[in-house]
Amino acid sequence: MRILHQIRPILAALRSHKTAVMLLVLEIALTMAVLGNLVFIVYDTINRSHVSTGIAESQIGWLQNIGVVGQDNPVTGAENLAVLRAVPGVADAAYVSPPLVYAQRNPLFIDPSRKQPVAQVYEFQGSQGLVDTFGLHVIQGREPTLDELPVAATVTSDAVFPVLVTQALAAHLFPDGHALGKLIYDGGGNPMRIVGIVDHLRGEITGRVDDDYAVVTQLLLGAQNVGGGFTIRVHEATQLPQVLQAAAIALQKANPGHVQNAALTMAEARESYFRNALAAGRMLVAIMLILLVVTALGVSGLASFWVQQRRRQIGMRRALGATRRDILHYFQMENLLIVSGGVLLGTLFAYALNLFLMHRFELAHLPAHYLVVGALALWALGQLAVLGPALRAANVPPVVATRSV
Amino acid sequence: MFGYYLDLALRSLKRTPILTGLMVLAIGLGIGAAMTMLTVLHVMTDDPLPGRSAHLYTPHLDPLPLDYKQGGDGPDPTDDLTWPDAMALLKAQRATRQAAMAGGSLLLRPGRADLRPFYVDGRYATADFFALFGVPFLQGSGWSAADDAAGAQVVVLVDALARKLFGTGNAVGRMVRLGEHDYRVIGVTRDWQPAPMFYVDASAKRYSDGDMFFLPLATAVDRKLDVNGNFSSWGEDRAETRMVSPTTTWLQFWAQLDTPAQAAAYRQYLVDYSAQQKALGRFQRPPANAKLYGLMGWLAHENLVPGDVRLQLWLALGFLFVCMLNIVALLLAKFLRRSGEISVRRALGAKRRDIFVQLGIESALIGVAGGALGLAIAQLGLWSIRQRPDDYARLAQMDMPMLLGTLALAVLASVLAGLLPAWRACRVPPALQLKML
Repeated sequence: MRILHQIRPILAALRSHKTAVMLLVLEIALTMAVLGNLVFIVYDTINRSHVSTGIAESQIGWLQNIGVVGQDNPVTGAENLAVLRAVPGVADAAYVSPPLVYAQRNPLFIDPSRKQPVAQVYEFQGSQGLVDTFGLHVIQGREPTLDELPVAATVTSDAVFPVLVTQALAAHLFPDGHALGKLIYDGGGNPMRIVGIVDHLRGEITGRVDDDYAVVTQLLLGAQNVGGGFTIRVHEATQLPQVLQAAAIALQKANPGHVQNAALTMAEARESYFRNALAAGRMLVAIMLILLVVTALGVSGLASFWVQQRRRQIGMRRALGATRRDILHYFQMENLLIVSGGVLLGTLFAYALNLFLMHRFELAHLPAHYLVVGALALWALGQLAVLGPALRAANVPPVVATRSV
Repeated sequence: MFGYYLDLALRSLKRTPILTGLMVLAIGLGIGAAMTMLTVLHVMTDDPLPGRSAHLYTPHLDPLPLDYKQGGDGPDPTDDLTWPDAMALLKAQRATRQAAMAGGSLLLRPGRADLRPFYVDGRYATADFFALFGVPFLQGSGWSAADDAAGAQVVVLVDALARKLFGTGNAVGRMVRLGEHDYRVIGVTRDWQPAPMFYVDASAKRYSDGDMFFLPLATAVDRKLDVNGNFSSWGEDRAETRMVSPTTTWLQFWAQLDTPAQAAAYRQYLVDYSAQQKALGRFQRPPANAKLYGLMGWLAHENLVPGDVRLQLWLALGFLFVCMLNIVALLLAKFLRRSGEISVRRALGAKRRDIFVQLGIESALIGVAGGALGLAIAQLGLWSIRQRPDDYARLAQMDMPMLLGTLALAVLASVLAGLLPAWRACRVPPALQLKML
């Protein structure tokens, strides 16, 4: 109660420093607005970097192997897959590039005239064994059997490809829930019939809903020699780097004319995919910390000036019976009031900034608990910043009152 | 008077070293962050060909059918030209110089045991490319329009690639195997890479390594060499014919127009050409859709600055603003605390203006110190940007104008921050204050 009784004189005293108080409130409000939104952006990035692509990432690696026409490449596509499967530790292999490594979005249509795209989807086109290699979970329908797969060497442009789509895409295309058996079309390729639905397969992780829109097509690879991306899945995740290395050597040995070998585990692919966003996140965290330091310096700088300015008044209060604790509380309370004003205004600013960022940069809505955390941080920061000057004020001896400054 | 005020300011700042340090630190951090991001923006939107860029233009036609709908985040087909349109513009010779071009990536097989085959990026272009952009030659020269017509099997290499293949000796006259064919080297250019790479297609990286070789465009089309760029098609799309198809855009086109009148005439020519094509039934959309962009205008249209860089720029400027607020509050406290001193000066005859100038100089002095600190912080910030994996990152260096700009911005910011406190201080009623002394 004693503290509450102090509020009125504090407000009266602040009224004679209107401009400085306003500036401080404004500074705290802006800090809060920037802080709330930055924490949100950084937290979102970190969250995103942990979203799964839907494939068995810890067991999957990717090999790039590009053939040179006219060079000595006696091995066929099917044999390349066999070479990879024969490497000890390899559970499965397919001719395909995994998510995050190579992801391109294509328009998808549900009418054969292809006039109005209904979605932008990631198309994964590869050889037999793709579904098992990725470790996809078919939750409805079934995976096309080997006999059903179109044979890559002889396929005609009107053949209907049996494909798998993700649950999210199926629900988007056919909200009535009857996606199985329906025909869909991409920009220029063959018509595709949905024979199965997998739970998740994200081509990229951007935070958009349509990250999880994917179409999986398998072709039966036979005698033709294809170069490009091979994906392998190993039995033991811990063995992945060694097995991948062995697979790269085996593939190179079978194809002496192939060039440009790259081998990448999904962990590495993920690291490189998010490197940029996380680097930017680190910079934002740095800005955030510096901002907090600057605000704290401002608060404490102004507080020490006020303490110096009021030395005589403090001395008088002490002489009239105020304890050191009273003086300390006075300055702490004053700071609490100013920061509270800043937090209130800052809530408004934070939402305004969030609206602006949503408009310009496709950011999501700022959840309220970020503001609560921001407010708590600023209250704590304010108290910390004012502690030094307030202690100095509490140490002013009562005798100051009797001296002229 | 200036010297005296400067002396007063120095004394005043020395009297409160901690507060002065705080203000210098605040302005330094704010300026450092802001200048880091402004420098990134500066290098990303810099003029790639100073001196030439004002005369370079890129024409754009709209050959799309009326019912064509742009799908999702795909490329805009009208960013590029079709082969028939590019050839028509080329043959019309309405500009001082003009060239059509497209990016290509070819497997290079060095005839040496110690070098494995590797892929190189280069450009397929018509003869005027070199003169149009002022590409400097070290040896030999480019090819002629006749070579273009004949689809000559010649290549121009960039110095770095020529050295890699042939050492320091003369490369002209040597043969290079690119893809499945041999080409005779007729010229070697200096390592030449405009930043940003304004003439590449939207799918290319604008700040990464430049072209390593140049081949005649006709040769590339004859042999259907691999193009690394967008092919946007709205009609029949077959791999064998799409390079010369009238319904597939993939070529970039640049022209040199020396005077505004020439540019206006060229713009009119594009509209006329579109009208003519529409009359022939090939184009369906209004001829006025044809556009002529200047080089810098085109870069602005392409919007090269990624969203995260813009976001960080806004944040840095916001940060600078918070720092300035901080300084306003601190200066206000500092100046008002000197009411007594100011009143004495006023009583001795100083005008309000004199006080204002004196306090302004004090703020500016803080700005100079803060600017110096800001420069150091900006260098640190730019160093951290250069560690990023983005293609523009390695360009993040401060040049002289940005360096001076940093100091100017720091002084400006601190003087602005000092305005309100100085105004408040010079309005202190002297009589009242003197009584209290």
